[in-house]
Amino acid sequence: MPRRCLLTLSAAAAVALALAGCAPTASTDVAAATNHAVTDASGTATVFISGDTNVQSLWTDAIIPAFEKANPGASVTTTLDLHGEHDAQTMAKLTSSVQAKEDPGFDLIDSGFIQAAGKAGLLEDVSADNIPNLATVPDTTVKAGAGFGIPYRASSVLLAYDSDKVKTPPTTLDELLKWITANPGQFTYNSPSTGGSGAAFVTTVLDKYVSDKSRTAMTTGYDQSLEGEWDKGFDELKSLGSSMYQQGVYPNGNNQVLELLGTGAIEMAPVWSDQVITAQKTGTLPSNIKYAQISNPSFTGSASYLGIPKTAAHKDVAQKLSDYVLSSEGQALIASTIAGYPVISLDNVPADLKDKFASADPSTLRPTYYSQMASDMNNLWDAKVPGQ
Amino acid sequence: MTDIRSGRRAPVGARRRVSPEARRSGIGLAMALPPVVLLALFVGVPVVLAIGFSLGHTGGLNSTIASIGLNTREATSWWGTAQAYVDVFTDPRFTRDLGVTIGVTVVSTLIVLALALGIALNLRLRGGRLASVFAGLAVVPLFIPVVIASWAILTFYSGDGFVRTVFALVGLTGPTWGYTTVAVVIGSVWTSLPFATLMAISGVQSIPDAMIEAAKDAGASSFSIVTRILVPLSAIPLVIAATFTAIGVLGSFTVPYFTGPNAPSMLGVDISKYFQAFNHPQQAIVMAVVVFVLASGIAFFYVWANFRSAKKEGRV
Repeated sequence: MPRRCLLTLSAAAAVALALAGCAPTASTDVAAATNHAVTDASGTATVFISGDTNVQSLWTDAIIPAFEKANPGASVTTTLDLHGEHDAQTMAKLTSSVQAKEDPGFDLIDSGFIQAAGKAGLLEDVSADNIPNLATVPDTTVKAGAGFGIPYRASSVLLAYDSDKVKTPPTTLDELLKWITANPGQFTYNSPSTGGSGAAFVTTVLDKYVSDKSRTAMTTGYDQSLEGEWDKGFDELKSLGSSMYQQGVYPNGNNQVLELLGTGAIEMAPVWSDQVITAQKTGTLPSNIKYAQISNPSFTGSASYLGIPKTAAHKDVAQKLSDYVLSSEGQALIASTIAGYPVISLDNVPADLKDKFASADPSTLRPTYYSQMASDMNNLWDAKVPGQ
Repeated sequence: MTDIRSGRRAPVGARRRVSPEARRSGIGLAMALPPVVLLALFVGVPVVLAIGFSLGHTGGLNSTIASIGLNTREATSWWGTAQAYVDVFTDPRFTRDLGVTIGVTVVSTLIVLALALGIALNLRLRGGRLASVFAGLAVVPLFIPVVIASWAILTFYSGDGFVRTVFALVGLTGPTWGYTTVAVVIGSVWTSLPFATLMAISGVQSIPDAMIEAAKDAGASSFSIVTRILVPLSAIPLVIAATFTAIGVLGSFTVPYFTGPNAPSMLGVDISKYFQAFNHPQQAIVMAVVVFVLASGIAFFYVWANFRSAKKEGRV
């Protein structure tokens, strides 16, 4: 996932782009529609993947073989841009093909630039009419896709801590903030522009002072006039600066934070759910690192979106494939392959999955800000917090 | 006969007057054309477009970026608007980071020059295996990718890094330079040293022995040989090394991004942040123009040095 793991020079671009693509995934009302299996697709399609190897294997080893098995007439190929290094060029290619009304060469995009592409009018509109399973996704999650993004998986940020040193981890935001000032130098988060885990921490602290009404507006659209409500939160973040690792170091990227946690340089940090699970599986994070969600408010989570280019040659197959990904079968594959949260309401997922994600119910995930609000948040954070 | 002769001569004479020169310049033009066209298309046009965008010209080929970017200022008169420049220059972050960028550039360039010259002079005046080893080691960074070197520098000077560990072993507290501007200077010196060393060595080595021996015979000390013969005579390669180092450090991204603090940071990092993370492409381009102007100032010295060396060799 580009949002997660990128540290290289050009990947910085991808991180930012991917961040722009992060959008809300929560819901207050759950759709009543029922999920259906997809078995009637035929034809070919190409999926463009801009992300890490885990996303690639999700498509090539799990979703596509299962989709082709369920739909004997369909055949899907992939194009990979590892870590989304060429997102800017891909965007340019997409833009020029749509303007020239030509096939861009791919029919479904899995990338962080969906939001940007959709805003520029390059993506096909989607709704439950052409992707029926979209009706089983909670309303707010769908709305955050702004009519062109197809939410298909989610993940959230958790609080990870060194269980050897921290015996009673904070369980609420206020406790966490107290813990940070009581243990100077033992906590940090990555700068919000370089990764979603730091952005989630910043968002959560800001939310402490934002009214519910404004927050809802901030997650579904862009309204610069609401940004005044962030002032208190930024003051709080600024005052935390001297209690951060090395009195104010905010590493660039989610992985640098994980690394500091792994080497014991810090005792606590916000981390991505799937990243911490994967890091422990592969051994880069020792087993004494434990993680839990805080409450009141919780850290944010977000959905990843797919998009269909307006001029794609095989839109019908792309829509069927998206529909398949949103079927209970497809969602189960995402959970088992990359520890991703389902985006469809939990009534529609298999029973074993339902138990697994009961504590991380996607409909209770707090959404992140709308992409342009997040851009402004990154900018204001950069102006007000580090080095002050 | 004369008619025929003059009739034959006239075209020959005409051809002789134009032919060799014209043909040569025609071939020259044909050979220069592909790179010139390439530069104009892929560098010149985007640069013009970008500068136009920074002045608020948001139509035409700039319309896509203008539709995506936030906080874009639009032209208010025929030449545009300087509002984006005002935005950037009134942002205290920018002036702070501009200062840091210039500071890091000056300090790194001076250190690189001093080190490169030291290695070259040591090789020239003392020689021996050790001097050759030094000269060889100084070139090693050329073969190590900057990303990896930056990461290594960060962990070497970090809170739990090698330096602090060694200090701790003898009961002292070492400095933590990871995520500080000091680490950015160290990283910049590391990446720039190989080229400067090669230039300095070639400059110093090309000075004939006879000059040094003559100075020695006249009773000159090593110090005056260095300051009055070796350095002045290798001034041109040293100026070239300095300009390349300064331009490289000025526009660097990887080293400050990895090893430096979040704030203050260098303009290369800021440009990327404004362009991607904050989605303010216009402000990012304004900063790029500022870096471009600074680099042009440095490049002036490069052109001057090249011109002098060409003049000395009688090519101009």
